[in-house]
Amino acid sequence: MSLFGTTSGFGTSGTSMFGSTTTDNHNPMKDIEVTSSPDDSIGCLSFSPPTLPGNFLIAGSWANDVRCWEVQDSGQTIPKAQQMHTGPVLDVCWSDDGSKVFTASCDKTAKMWDLSSNQAIQIAQHDAPVKTIHWIKAPNYSCVMTGSWDKTLKFWDTRSSNPMMVLQLPERCYCADVIYPMAVVATAERGLIVYQLENQPSEFRRIESPLKHQHRCVAIFKDKQNKPTGFALGSIEGRVAIHYINPPNPAKDNFTFKCHRSNGTNTSAPQDIYAVNGIAFHPVHGTLATVGSDGRFSFWDKDARTKLKTSEQLDQPISACCFNHNGNIFAYASSYDWSKVRTPGPALYDPRRQSRALGSEGLGLSCDSSQGAQVSLGRSPSPACNRKLQGFLQWFWGFSTAFGQNPEHRKHSASGHYGLLCCWVKKHRQAGGCTL
Amino acid sequence: MAICQFFLQGRCRFGDRCWNEHPGARGAGGGRQQPQQQLSGNNRRGWNTTSQRYSNVIQPSSFSKSTPWGGSRDQEKPSFGSFNSGASTNRNKGFGLSENRFASLSPEEQKDEKKLLEGIVKDMEVWESSGQWIFSVYSPVKKKPNISGFIDISPEELKLEYHNFLTSNNLQSYLNSVQCLINQWRNRVNELKSLNISTKVALCIEKVLEHYSSSTLLFAHFFFFQFSDVKNGVNQAAPAFGFGSSQAATFVSPGFPVKNSSSDNAQNFSFKINSGFATASSGSPAVLGSSPAFGAAASASSAISTSAPAFGFGKPEITSAASFSFKSPADSSFGSPGFSGLPTSLATGPVSTPVAPAFGGGDSVAGFGSPGSHSHTAFSKPSNDTFGNSSIPTSFSAPSSIIAPDNVLFTPRDKLTVQELEQFQSKKFTLGK
Repeated sequence: MSLFGTTSGFGTSGTSMFGSTTTDNHNPMKDIEVTSSPDDSIGCLSFSPPTLPGNFLIAGSWANDVRCWEVQDSGQTIPKAQQMHTGPVLDVCWSDDGSKVFTASCDKTAKMWDLSSNQAIQIAQHDAPVKTIHWIKAPNYSCVMTGSWDKTLKFWDTRSSNPMMVLQLPERCYCADVIYPMAVVATAERGLIVYQLENQPSEFRRIESPLKHQHRCVAIFKDKQNKPTGFALGSIEGRVAIHYINPPNPAKDNFTFKCHRSNGTNTSAPQDIYAVNGIAFHPVHGTLATVGSDGRFSFWDKDARTKLKTSEQLDQPISACCFNHNGNIFAYASSYDWSKVRTPGPALYDPRRQSRALGSEGLGLSCDSSQGAQVSLGRSPSPACNRKLQGFLQWFWGFSTAFGQNPEHRKHSASGHYGLLCCWVKKHRQAGGCTL
Repeated sequence: MAICQFFLQGRCRFGDRCWNEHPGARGAGGGRQQPQQQLSGNNRRGWNTTSQRYSNVIQPSSFSKSTPWGGSRDQEKPSFGSFNSGASTNRNKGFGLSENRFASLSPEEQKDEKKLLEGIVKDMEVWESSGQWIFSVYSPVKKKPNISGFIDISPEELKLEYHNFLTSNNLQSYLNSVQCLINQWRNRVNELKSLNISTKVALCIEKVLEHYSSSTLLFAHFFFFQFSDVKNGVNQAAPAFGFGSSQAATFVSPGFPVKNSSSDNAQNFSFKINSGFATASSGSPAVLGSSPAFGAAASASSAISTSAPAFGFGKPEITSAASFSFKSPADSSFGSPGFSGLPTSLATGPVSTPVAPAFGGGDSVAGFGSPGSHSHTAFSKPSNDTFGNSSIPTSFSAPSSIIAPDNVLFTPRDKLTVQELEQFQSKKFTLGK
């Protein structure tokens, strides 16, 4: 009955499932791991649109590459192609016909990747890393919208090197989402702007942020008539706000909920609060999924205002998530998202700690003998990458010595997997008992 | 009519029926006389009580008691807490005190403010203990501006910085700068947790706290009188503040809204820190005026004049500091590269001193040493630790208006009438008594 993976339903403990000496929690949900995962953190995921037969998954990583897999109905993932940027890739998106992939990178450019010819050309230029990229298909125009840390939102016709339009943002663009005719951009300093895209993109409204802290991710949802009607906004403070654009009763309809916190109900004891790294809405059911730095993903029903399910805790934060076009597949990326930056310092270069941290998990990156048979890690970094990876892991250990409050933090940060996992979702059920 | 003492304490049981005057509850039309009477009344009380907790009596107030973030009843399974969209915070405006910020707060507003401050303290505690991301702006309630002193850095930006430093093999400086940012954040959080009067004044100025409650008002007065010995035009601020001119409420004008919006157009990390830090040390422009105390050569007027352009953009005071650090020639590594496009016209040296505490003097990389580590002798201010941050702005937003050719806000000292001067220098206001 469990739809996540082959053996256990959720709720069974995720520790020591492999029976090895180290408790490896990198895949507690027993979901399918994608082969040939990138070597560094994954920043973004995107599934192909319905116009393309089959399911193709694109992931952009901090190793400057964008990879494409075909995900088959059996669950098997086949790496298809890869493109490189000169900087980490922050966002990816598909064109509406599924023939092109747009990638936005820290090298201040955005590229259009033609999958059939496997060529990528640059289509956009900013003055700072490009954080978001979306394809807009309007009846009278189509363009690519890029949001960048240079506080501008630019719209590009892919054939021209000059933007069709440039809109100023109050601050650096942190996240955006587009469902025609609505676009939402969340910026630094708690800025929030809604755009309407008919005829040409224009600012529709600036909204007071419903959240107290930094905005992290945003996703638009649709109403029963399939029109975009509001958005969900996640912050670093383990909270998501649901906001309708024109609600009949704003005080009642808009709300926030807490998520991705340890001891969620018990608010008196100090709890750990994690950032919400990604929000995705199920295309059919309208339920939403959130992934957080605590290494869990959760499904929620915003209309019934209930939580449907929370996954087991992975050993690394989950940095990105995505549904496929019909909602049958939910992909999430497990990789370090830089959330544990409390006390960098002398612990960094302590060799004894380093060896303990790397241990078998570190080696597990290149040799999968310690892992169970169900999963194939398939990661074999080239020597150069491996060195860099080792370096990163050393640094990582230093950073991960947490503030001292919670030893759980240390435990979870010990390993350095950059895994990409897929899981199958047959259906989301609403109201209470989950059969997920 | 006599002023009702019980109302001032927040516990008049007659309410509207009371035969005595309830100042402030009847609206702002009370005029100039009101605030000063209030002040005198509050003076008496304020000096005795150290805290702002006026009463424990629950006035029958009509506003909803829900805390602004009503979601605290969140439970895992059944439901989310419903979000109360800040209806309670709008009460402050509806009390007829809209123009006169100096009037005493009615009890409901005091409670609102108290709640707000308690909320801030609680949020700070949670922030510290919960391990959440620290490089984030913060605002206590929806619709309020962000509290200064916090910079927004997304994890991706930080990670990108790491990558850049990695390629240049300069990991240590990255670590140092992150450590400095963390320290800066921690200081600010502690400041907000302790919530002494100076931070409250600063919050008032930022329009986080809606009205100047009497205790913050008191402090500001106290503060200004301290400055009466300072040589330059600094103390000009006091008349602007104290004499309740209709513009006085707006005297805290230009600097701080700019500060909040003076976001960094950072191309690189280093610049970002600095500009973020500019917001943190928002008090630092104020210190510009004090530079004569440090024996800088520039005359008072020039010191102030340099502060004005600095005031207009939240960043340049850092620019100048970085360019010429008063204490140490060696600049922090964040010095030059990031400041492209900033006006470098701030020529004089004294400008740098305010940030000297911020840049920690001689240590080049760890530029953000703990504020307040240097002695600032000219300022006999009550709280040392908030020096670098927020306490000074009150007095120094006025200097920027000195530059304005037609300054309605204040009059230079020599132009004050004898009576005004006397008021200004005395301990208690007697005008209108």
